[in-house]
Amino acid sequence: MRMKKVAVIGTGNFGLALANLLAINNEVFIYARREEIVEKINEKREHKGQAIHERVTAVNDFELITKECKLIFPIVPSSNFKEMLIQLSPYLTPEHILIHGTKGLHIEVDINSVTQLDKSEVLTMSELILKQTSVVRVGCIAGPNLAKELSEKQIGGTVVASRFNEVIVEGKKALNSNVFRVYGSNEVLGVELASVLKNYIAIAAGMLEGIGYGDNSKALLITRGMAEMVFFGKAFGASEKAFMGLAGIGDLMATCNSKLSRNFRVGYQLAKGQKLSDILSDLNEVAEGIKTIKVVKLLAGYGFNSPLADALYKIVYEDWELKQGMDYLMNLPVSDDTDFFSHKDS
Amino acid sequence: MPTRKTIKKPLPSVVKNMDEWPIYKAYENPDLFLKKVKELVKKNASWILKDDVTLRNEIKNIVYQEKMRLSKTPWKSDNPKEKLFWSDIKKQIRNSKATSSENRTKEVDERILNQILDFYGTEMIADFKISSFKFAQNALPYIYSRLINSFPQIVYRLFSSVDKLYDRMKIMGDIDHIRNLQKIGTVVVVPTHYSNLDSPTIGLSLNNLGLSAFTYGAGVNLFTIKSLSRFMHNLGAYKVDRRRKHRLYIETLKSYSTIALTQDVNSLFYPGGSRSHSGKLENKLKLGLLGTVIDAQRMNLQNGNGKKIFIIPVTLNYHYVLEAKKLIEHYLKDEGKENYLEDENTTSFGLIKRAYKVITSNPGMTISFAPAIDVFGNNVNENGESYTSIGQKVEVADYFKLNGKLVKDLQRDSQYTQILGERILQEYKENTVVLSSNLVAFVAFQIIRKRFSQFSIFEILSLPKDETTIQVEEFIPVLGRVKEELIAIEKENKIILSADLELELEELMKVGINKVGSSHPKYVLRENKKGEISTQSMKLLYYYHNKLTSYGLEKYI
Repeated sequence: MRMKKVAVIGTGNFGLALANLLAINNEVFIYARREEIVEKINEKREHKGQAIHERVTAVNDFELITKECKLIFPIVPSSNFKEMLIQLSPYLTPEHILIHGTKGLHIEVDINSVTQLDKSEVLTMSELILKQTSVVRVGCIAGPNLAKELSEKQIGGTVVASRFNEVIVEGKKALNSNVFRVYGSNEVLGVELASVLKNYIAIAAGMLEGIGYGDNSKALLITRGMAEMVFFGKAFGASEKAFMGLAGIGDLMATCNSKLSRNFRVGYQLAKGQKLSDILSDLNEVAEGIKTIKVVKLLAGYGFNSPLADALYKIVYEDWELKQGMDYLMNLPVSDDTDFFSHKDS
Repeated sequence: MPTRKTIKKPLPSVVKNMDEWPIYKAYENPDLFLKKVKELVKKNASWILKDDVTLRNEIKNIVYQEKMRLSKTPWKSDNPKEKLFWSDIKKQIRNSKATSSENRTKEVDERILNQILDFYGTEMIADFKISSFKFAQNALPYIYSRLINSFPQIVYRLFSSVDKLYDRMKIMGDIDHIRNLQKIGTVVVVPTHYSNLDSPTIGLSLNNLGLSAFTYGAGVNLFTIKSLSRFMHNLGAYKVDRRRKHRLYIETLKSYSTIALTQDVNSLFYPGGSRSHSGKLENKLKLGLLGTVIDAQRMNLQNGNGKKIFIIPVTLNYHYVLEAKKLIEHYLKDEGKENYLEDENTTSFGLIKRAYKVITSNPGMTISFAPAIDVFGNNVNENGESYTSIGQKVEVADYFKLNGKLVKDLQRDSQYTQILGERILQEYKENTVVLSSNLVAFVAFQIIRKRFSQFSIFEILSLPKDETTIQVEEFIPVLGRVKEELIAIEKENKIILSADLELELEELMKVGINKVGSSHPKYVLRENKKGEISTQSMKLLYYYHNKLTSYGLEKYI
């Protein structure tokens, strides 16, 4: 039987790892913006230190991939996502299914020139797809998916979320294998928000590691960090369910404990006294958490409880000492242990 | 941007010969129509046919519920033979238990299921008689104009009344586009729902647009007078019994609607379900019947005819809603609870009696047809082609395709129905016509509310009259600010302003006060000689004010 053709857009670490995983069950096109990367992947069968599966073909042609593949995985940084969609959109039809793997938010305004944000100015990637294209069957993939481990074929799992069961089924069929377990969820907003918000929790985890704190401190951070994520999610209409799954607690455990996480590394290096600008320029790839801290701050008007994001904002954007931030957090009144469950939906 | 125009007189039918109308053809052979309905129910209600035990239990459950309905909430409109029918079904079940083998039981149950579906179908099915339609077409404008105009009963004026009707009953929208779509596909009209008068209002409007007749569900409680019931039946009304809540009946109703749509019959539903009790614009829709447009569109594509279904949201905008007092009291007492008011008091005779009351001084209404959309909420052009909000041309078939094939997926279709529902709500909002009456009610109520900002709505509604009096000098500047904002909203095509809003503020205030709920025994607003504006009913004021609560106008008070 002929294998199904699917496409990945983006040749970042995660895009490459995902293309390799998809190649277990499918023929895969991977789209690269730059011709030289297309050539490198096709000829050297290697990119960014990852060997490329034989069933992966790199291309630079949106028309080709949309014609050949009805299932497409855009894995592009949030800052480039809209631009990519504008170019891709003319070739898409409502028959296409898009499952994105971008852990970031699209902000309709320049966050450096506003003092607050309106909900309508903040879009998840699936909302952006719905706005910019004719595709309706949209989903996202999220979970503890550190690209390096995936590329080494270590066993792992993920969640495909969509309001359409059909999208979940197609995502599972394409990705599920004996090294990668794919779970389904209809809580697409919760999954997307969880995968974005955990980025700044990972920065805080890196900071704790940087100052030499151990497992108790980190466990406290992860647990209360998750509570903070749930409060935010509920304020924006997501249910708490998604936060308890792979995209929430699963991804938190991975990114808050791993030097492979970019966000974790940013926090770690900040704690070691390096300047943010230097860290970011060395990083090469995007640390979404830094942007997320600001976005959460600018959305404070929606009344959710986010002490950790507040403290990080002061450290990252207002030059607070790390200790000042820790003191601030440790002196806040304590609430009920599992208050995020009893927090009423507004 | 659609070309919006107001029609002054009935337009000729798009399809002249009534015997070519799909509604005529569909109901010409009721047995065939019901056979298709039955087949579709069985296809969709797979849960009932899952296994023998489920089938038997479901049937028993249906019989129990139907017998309970007949004994606990009997209506005059109930079929006198119905009791006998359910007793007979019960007897068949009992007999099969005593005498039959397992296979035989299944056979009996399937036969019973067919009998039940036949019973529902026969009760439900509408008809379309050209003679009845022609009679209605000629008589209704006269009857209706008598209802909504306030002339002295002088015979020679009777014949001028139809022209006068259109001064008070304004029909607006992109009429040419809608008429054009009638030539290409099936038209589904989905109006807002405020009053029992909505159906005759919308019926007359659709006829004036020259569209082929529509089929629509009407509560069985409206079928009490035999002659009138026959008349409605002959005009495409299928019977809906809202007391029946079980899945098989709902499935039959949905299948009925789907089959009518696949037969190209124009259809009308109120997606809000019951009338808006609060007077607010619908903010939530009941998706059951609405979902049938998605089913039917898919079936049209699978059958190969590809006929397109077009949805036209309609807003009905009244200065005066006959049953406003009852509705708002119900809303306040039972806020948030689903409840139908159509009890036996709302019989067809009751409706005529109530409508007759409107004869005196009804200030009229505006019926606003929104631009047509496809079943996924996309815009459609003059050729019926679909375009997304970013202007991309799309094919409806692509929404149903998976890996290149048209695939039935009920979960997917339920999501599409939600998307369509959201778009309809948006169209309601953008095609609401701001009447002077709603505007003055909004301003008056909000001034009082601001005065007592620490009070709950319930406390505000029970304020004594002297606390709710407003000076004209206080009223006018607020009216000015709100009007300015409404003009700004209209510029963004997010609302429509009626001609009254072009009046100077004082005149606008007087006209609005005069028109708001003008026929209620208690006045909603009145201005006295001392320049004081007062109300005799805070509840009615609240009701008429509610129409404008979803536009963020409160901050201009």
